[in-house]
Amino acid sequence: MSLRQFRLPVVPATAGIFMASLTLAGCVSSPEPEPQAMARSSQQTAPADLQLLCASAAASAAEAGSARVLPVSSRQLDAGNYQVDLDAAGKRMSCIVDSEGNVKSIQPSGNGGRAEVAAEMAN
Amino acid sequence: MTGKKAMETRSPTSSGAGNTNLHRRILAAVLLVAFGLGTTPTYAETQIFDPQTRKWVKYDREAARKYFSRNKQPPEAFRRQVVKFRTAEEPGTIIIDGNQHFLYLVQPNHQAIRYGIGVGREGFGWAGIVRVGRTAEWPTWTPPAEMVERDPNARKWAAGMPGGPDNPLGARALYLYEGDQDTIYRIHGTPEPWTIGLDVSSGCIRMNNDDVIDLHSRVKVGAKVVVLMQGAALYKGV
Repeated sequence: MSLRQFRLPVVPATAGIFMASLTLAGCVSSPEPEPQAMARSSQQTAPADLQLLCASAAASAAEAGSARVLPVSSRQLDAGNYQVDLDAAGKRMSCIVDSEGNVKSIQPSGNGGRAEVAAEMAN
Repeated sequence: MTGKKAMETRSPTSSGAGNTNLHRRILAAVLLVAFGLGTTPTYAETQIFDPQTRKWVKYDREAARKYFSRNKQPPEAFRRQVVKFRTAEEPGTIIIDGNQHFLYLVQPNHQAIRYGIGVGREGFGWAGIVRVGRTAEWPTWTPPAEMVERDPNARKWAAGMPGGPDNPLGARALYLYEGDQDTIYRIHGTPEPWTIGLDVSSGCIRMNNDDVIDLHSRVKVGAKVVVLMQGAALYKGV
């Protein structure tokens, strides 16, 4: 048997597996959420209460009043954790919080705060 | 002013309303992006779950209008309900999640009343920490000068449109202040209830009239209002 003859059956088999996986993928539907959760944004941010828990933690860490700490962006890291970026009286901070509401870390982040940048632009 | 009719100051409220501060917003958005502040305005779409196809589907103006026409109310997620809400904020505080189109009124025992809202369309989203400066029932709406100039329908209301079911501010308005300054943004009702869940306004937070009446009955002047909006073009109060 030549090499070409030997390889012939392999190609349809690979294609078959590929087609089968596509078919299976097409059959998979999203799990049905609770009715009160049947709306979302394609921009998947952290739940508002978790963002605010991070804001409270950042206010303590930065010794800033809670009225000066604002979550500015957030994202889901994995199934149980979110990252929240905050502006704490002009300082940029980053917070990790889990879906149970436990703040796991809070630390200054690399970028300058929004207020600092604004001040630079004004100069 | 609570509980009394009040003259509305010029407001960016309704869809297609004035472009007050537009240039400032555009400049702010450009600068935010240019300085890499991590909140590049990525404009998202609202999606709702279709139980029949078991898929998430786009929920835009057209879909929302059809849904409302069929059901006479917005999707269940955007209807008023009590939810778990873990926060150190005091009861009576208003939290607005502009990205997810929810307004939360904090209640005792880690709960909140959640309402569906419509928020600022692309380039008109804002974030910040403000307060309820005053409130009004069936407020008068006065279109901004720019709108009066370009829109013949608005011209007849240049001196103010009386409160009523067709008024863009709807049944109630909560005027948001930064310190003692009116931000020109409001939480208000709407004659377009199908727009709840969408990015449609010029920066105001709109609610169904029933919901804004309920919220108005529970909120005190001076209440703290936290507005969360990833990709905001403007910040207030921080």
